[in-house]
Amino acid sequence: MKTIMKKIAIFDSGVETPEEIILAAGFTPYRLFGDPNLQVDRANEHIPPTHCLWTRNLLEQAIRGLDKDIVGLIATHGCDRTNREFDIWLECVKLGFMFFLNSPRKRDKVSLRFFMDDLKELIAQLEETFKVKISENGLKEEIKKMNQIRAMLKKISEFRSKMIITGSEFHALVKNVQQSNKDESLKLLKSTLDKITSKDPLQKIDKKKKILLTGSDIDDTEFLKYLEDLGFTIVIDDLCVGTKYFWHTVDEGEEPIKALAKYHLEKPIYATKFPSYERFNHLKMLAQTYKADGVINIAQKFCEPVLYDHPYLSKKFKELEIPYLFVEVTYNREAYKQLSTRFSAFAEMI
Amino acid sequence: MSKQQQTSNKMLNATQGLKNIMGRHFLAIEQAFRDGKPTAWATSGSPVEVLYAMDVQPMLPENSATVSAAQKFSKNFIEKAEDEGYSYDLCSYFKTNVGAVLSNANMIQGGTRKPSFMLSTDVICDTHVNWFQVQAERLNVPHYSIDVPHVVSNTNNRQYNYFKKYVSEQLYELLDFIQEVTGNEYDEEKAREVSKNSWDLSMVWQQIYELRKNVPCPISTRDTFGGLFPLFTMPGLKEPIRLYKRMYKEAKERVEKGVGALKHEKYRLMFEGIPYWHSLKWFSNLEKYGAIIVYEPYTYAFSKYMNPKVTKEMVLNKPIEAMAELMLSFWYIYDLKTRIKKFAETVKEWKIDAVIMHENLSCRPNSCGLYDLKRHLMEDYNIPCLIVSADMNDPRKFNEEQMNNQVETFMEILEQKVHK
Repeated sequence: MKTIMKKIAIFDSGVETPEEIILAAGFTPYRLFGDPNLQVDRANEHIPPTHCLWTRNLLEQAIRGLDKDIVGLIATHGCDRTNREFDIWLECVKLGFMFFLNSPRKRDKVSLRFFMDDLKELIAQLEETFKVKISENGLKEEIKKMNQIRAMLKKISEFRSKMIITGSEFHALVKNVQQSNKDESLKLLKSTLDKITSKDPLQKIDKKKKILLTGSDIDDTEFLKYLEDLGFTIVIDDLCVGTKYFWHTVDEGEEPIKALAKYHLEKPIYATKFPSYERFNHLKMLAQTYKADGVINIAQKFCEPVLYDHPYLSKKFKELEIPYLFVEVTYNREAYKQLSTRFSAFAEMI
Repeated sequence: MSKQQQTSNKMLNATQGLKNIMGRHFLAIEQAFRDGKPTAWATSGSPVEVLYAMDVQPMLPENSATVSAAQKFSKNFIEKAEDEGYSYDLCSYFKTNVGAVLSNANMIQGGTRKPSFMLSTDVICDTHVNWFQVQAERLNVPHYSIDVPHVVSNTNNRQYNYFKKYVSEQLYELLDFIQEVTGNEYDEEKAREVSKNSWDLSMVWQQIYELRKNVPCPISTRDTFGGLFPLFTMPGLKEPIRLYKRMYKEAKERVEKGVGALKHEKYRLMFEGIPYWHSLKWFSNLEKYGAIIVYEPYTYAFSKYMNPKVTKEMVLNKPIEAMAELMLSFWYIYDLKTRIKKFAETVKEWKIDAVIMHENLSCRPNSCGLYDLKRHLMEDYNIPCLIVSADMNDPRKFNEEQMNNQVETFMEILEQKVHK
């Protein structure tokens, strides 16, 4: 009989929660995603209407009741609006383990030491609450496993620009991995890789406009399908349900806590961190390497970090003469449709 | 004549001196530029004392933004920033500053000068960090930012200790950064003097607040909304201490004579949030109901020495460590659980009848948790609360008629509750 592993939910607008620690504690990391079809009601009693619609959606789900196998939650530092929602979660969501992970805003040596302290605290609290032991060897094993997942995702990701899989197919795959048992994920990725390695390019996407997709957390695969239907193909992205999840690997030779902290501080920077303007260098590299025809930057409504960065990114892409489109989106599938004219005009322009 | 029947001049005479003090602050900035002295922009909640201790003239663009709003320039500046691509939904202080710089506004209009460097922290919000990142790039100046960990309702002592270590280490780094940019060294003697002045300034402000516990309340928001500015622009100087002492003396006289800032004080209110700097008259409208605001967490919070662990001795002898502790325990950013408790205690101590909360449309970190705070105060402590939506600096997001209607209804309910 198959044993169902208990899950630790992750409330993270980035992907900075070290899943290896959760795995080494004997749980399945389960990143929470929004449901754009969900009618938000009860969360409105806690969060004002002009606040992030995505995290409001997550709170609604949590108030109504999360998956029964979820025994704890880690909320990871994002922007200051969502950070302050953690206290509301403590009020509304009753789980035996709730931890706020202060992944630092900065990325220097002092921040690294601090992040290591916070990871050690996370480990201590997991051990105390669940009476488990998270050993160094256990962490090393999980790092190895997650690195395999990262490496395979990176390989599969490349098939997007070869026009063998679509951006939306890949997005669905990453999303699946972020919620699944990692051994199952490994099997899924291996079989996916086997299948696509011998596949021919899709003729239809070859004619589409190649774009780099960036912006807020975009977790609705239907949104990517919607873009594809409008004439785009997403050859590369800078998303948390995307390259941010696997672009680098963790150093397996390093002491595991340090290695995990370093990994998260060295990966491509988020709009929520400082200095977020460094995002541009990474975006530029992606756009040029993958020969994108244009860049689409999506801000979820009220997503301030992305809103602050937009004029700078717009200016910099203009200097590079790379077409750039910025669109604010409401977390609702009906609302996407109203934006079709803007996206179509951009597709025609590039 | 009974005590209650005596009249007052509403605003303290001493508060008129604020104009001079702030005028001197602006002159000191101009003088610094003439003398080639280093200058810095700092966000509120930053350790401005460090700047004074290292002979750097601080400028607080947030303070300047409120000037723009009060002088009715902010709308124009905000729209200029929006033309640059900054969203309608972003912080109106930020956009006022962007527009003011683009317009070359003078200090009377809320303009500011290009500094030698910028210092931001996310003590209050990460908007400050984003704001200075934007402006440091646009003005091409160095920027140091202090990352302050987020204390939540279940943060334990173990965590709090390494949070403190992290902030302290960055503060020491800041000293090196300032030295590198300006050539000025950190002088411990000067730091001690600045710390002492900062402590004294805050203590007098807290004493003034203590006087507000009296019925009738001797001081209204006419004194505190503006009176707050020296706390974050000039902590470390002697002049504002003298001003606060004069305010205290006059307020104490009012208390002794039984004179209130409002002729017939009927309701005592707390106002939570940043005031609407563009429409300060709105607060006077409360007077027609016999209501006076006797406490604002916003103006009290900036008298930062409220953490009992931070003693005067610590402030004088270990200013950096004291600063780190204070940056983590700033009243205005308390976690929800502590915030609820603190509100309930304050309501009791200051004999408050009801709380008006500003759901600030462009300050999301501040309005996050407001609904739960309100619910707890009403359900657990039976404190009437009203939430009104507006914006601190953007008059376009201020629906006066709607807000007045809300207040009118609220006052009717309060009347029934208080006088039942």
